[in-house]
Amino acid sequence: MFRYKGYTGKYLEVDLSTGSVEVLPIDEALAEAFLGGSGFGTNLLWRRVPAAVDPLSPDNLLIFATGPLNGTLMPNSGRMEMISKSPLTGIYGDSNTGGFLGPELKFAGFDMVVIRGKAPEPVYLWIEDGKAEIRSAKHLWGKDTVETEDALVEELHDPGVKVACIGPAGENLVRYACIQATSSRSFGRTGGGAVMGSKNLKAMAVRGFGAVRIADPDGFYRVAVRCHEGIKSNEIYPAVHRYGTPGIVSLMNVIGRFPTKNFQLGGYADADKINAEALRAGFFVKDIACFGCPVACDKIYRVNEGEYAGTTVRSFEYETINAFGANILNPKLDAILKASDICDRLGLDSITTGRCISFVMELLDRGILTRAGVDGLDLTWGNVEAAMELVRRIAYRQGVGTLLAEGVRRAAKEIGKGAADYAMDVKGQEIAAQDGRAQQSMGLAHVTSSRGADHLKAFPTIDETGYPTEARRRYGDAYLPDMADPRSTKYKGFLVKDGEDYAAVVDSTGTCKSGGNFVLAQIYWDDVAEAVRYATGMDIDVVGLKAAGERIVNLQRAYNAIHGISRKDDTLPKRFIVEPNYQATPEGAVCRLHEMLDDYYRLRGWDREGLPTAETLRRLGLEDTIPRLESELAGRPSRSP
Amino acid sequence: MRLQPNPEKCTGCQICEAFCSFKKERAVWPARSRISVLKWEKEGVYIPFTCQQCERPLCQEACPVGAIGRCEATGALEVDSRRCLGCKMCVTACPFGGMAYDPDRGQAIKCDLCGGDPECVRMCPFGALTFIREEKYAQVKRREAARKLAGLLDLVGR
Repeated sequence: MFRYKGYTGKYLEVDLSTGSVEVLPIDEALAEAFLGGSGFGTNLLWRRVPAAVDPLSPDNLLIFATGPLNGTLMPNSGRMEMISKSPLTGIYGDSNTGGFLGPELKFAGFDMVVIRGKAPEPVYLWIEDGKAEIRSAKHLWGKDTVETEDALVEELHDPGVKVACIGPAGENLVRYACIQATSSRSFGRTGGGAVMGSKNLKAMAVRGFGAVRIADPDGFYRVAVRCHEGIKSNEIYPAVHRYGTPGIVSLMNVIGRFPTKNFQLGGYADADKINAEALRAGFFVKDIACFGCPVACDKIYRVNEGEYAGTTVRSFEYETINAFGANILNPKLDAILKASDICDRLGLDSITTGRCISFVMELLDRGILTRAGVDGLDLTWGNVEAAMELVRRIAYRQGVGTLLAEGVRRAAKEIGKGAADYAMDVKGQEIAAQDGRAQQSMGLAHVTSSRGADHLKAFPTIDETGYPTEARRRYGDAYLPDMADPRSTKYKGFLVKDGEDYAAVVDSTGTCKSGGNFVLAQIYWDDVAEAVRYATGMDIDVVGLKAAGERIVNLQRAYNAIHGISRKDDTLPKRFIVEPNYQATPEGAVCRLHEMLDDYYRLRGWDREGLPTAETLRRLGLEDTIPRLESELAGRPSRSP
Repeated sequence: MRLQPNPEKCTGCQICEAFCSFKKERAVWPARSRISVLKWEKEGVYIPFTCQQCERPLCQEACPVGAIGRCEATGALEVDSRRCLGCKMCVTACPFGGMAYDPDRGQAIKCDLCGGDPECVRMCPFGALTFIREEKYAQVKRREAARKLAGLLDLVGR
């Protein structure tokens, strides 16, 4: 009997090659050390997916993991993790989805689903109340994500079924195929959809009628209600609720942190045509929310007129607006909504997809590619119709889509002729809609993230706009004014490290970074420690929780290290280091990465090569990783004692 | 008093279900929540739904042992657990699914308006659930409708 509440104490181990499905107990020591979610996934990859394993081979694991706060009273407790070695980067990969899938999995009696092997034919996994079975998905193969979900809900006779599935992009092993969760939400980044496709797994359908039990109901209730009230009284809550993530389009444009023309610019002249006000005025239908969320940043948007009339889109975020808007110089918001819908249905990460398109547009502009080389598509800046056609070709790997289905880094290598200078990625993953030249901490966050370029691993939000309110609430006055100044590099190593440790905990316990944890900066270490303690009955305080966050980040780094990652990879494309962003400052800013990286390594307890020292690993109880790191890194620069 | 859902304001977050079940079962258990958010995702329609506390309660009429009575203070129909046989006749009789059955206790379960301070109403972030006097309800609706009309009149410049 599993000691801790908050968890179900069970997980599913599925081998698609043999068709075996086992229900296994969660290890209590694992829960104590790694909490859940991405912590569980990191530990499993380290133990069971060695460096030699190709991400698209049957030996890779596909892990869906919840945390102890998923499906509870805590605000925004609807988020869960997918963890797998990434086909896009070849290193640690994970992605997070909102919605209702995570809570449903727990109501069905499981904390986690671990999938290995490869099914001989297309299958889906059906999980219901403590049981699971592998079923044929031959009739679903080829369908898009919306059709797949509809078919499964029909087939399983229950509108409450939650579905995670892939579209044609995943089936065709596009390296950044996403996994759609209950149709509108996505495990967007790092190509989990391709891993699913490689395993012939079309979908996972989940339904549960059980309970999530709590160790100390009265204590937990108090913390949860306090966090709900805190969120609702937060000064930016009304704006975050009203506009959701698109609300920052205008804010970012003002500070030159709105990537435009494949990062050639930091601001977009037509930003007001694609900002939150334009979106709400033209397309808003309804506010919607993920499980247990008082913020309800999500919306239903509908296009009512013009060539895209009838397009209905949910979970339409800042990132997609940037990727198919400013990034390709397209001011048509209805077309961006359509592009988002196409990406959702085909099962593509809209961030990477957008960057692939702007990459091609820039190469055509510079004469590195010719129109003949891109199937004759008129991919000039702003031509969103051609971009949508390219999206389809990527999903089906047709013509030039075959090349771009590999992501910008591999495509640049294939193209040669200096194309790599225009590939906007870190470690093989395309950079999302932030710019380290306008917000220094984001540049650092992009290079230190364990899953390649990513803003959400450290999620430095409090120095975005220069307002000190949140910086003060989180860190006091000691670090001001620099802590709240996006152009200052001072204390940003600390900000990124703290953010990464905290985000690792958030991603492992199962709440949302866009809700109370980062965007509102309302919920923090002490709240989460209390919530975990009351929910689970675990003897954990802030110190223990911080150690867990550090442990997870360090194990991700160790895992990446045995895949050859070190300081040389913690770098940005040349564009950010040497090409000024004049929208950020009149005189032009670059990202001063060198002013932050060593500081960050020092705070982490990593050596100059960016590898965790033995001392750091021991401090975090990761001493059993040392022999393997020593042997696999033999011959590389020596590591300090 | 009446527990009045407003589907237009419901975001589908299920906070009502989480908190209802927690109050009644000390666990987060939407399947046991006395209130359910019914969703039509394609249309974007969410309706929080629970017992209507009928004026002519068919559940009460169907109960063979008189286990269902009305609370004077709140107007809520309540199941007396000492009398309930677990025969489920009330569940069958209710046209709305307002009455549910708890197989663990062997008892019918339903919304009892939390004794006059409904947890779902207290925690709903957007006022999609209100607890309101019957007489006031029509007035509130009329006021909202009239305000919309006033906006329209403004629009046509009258």
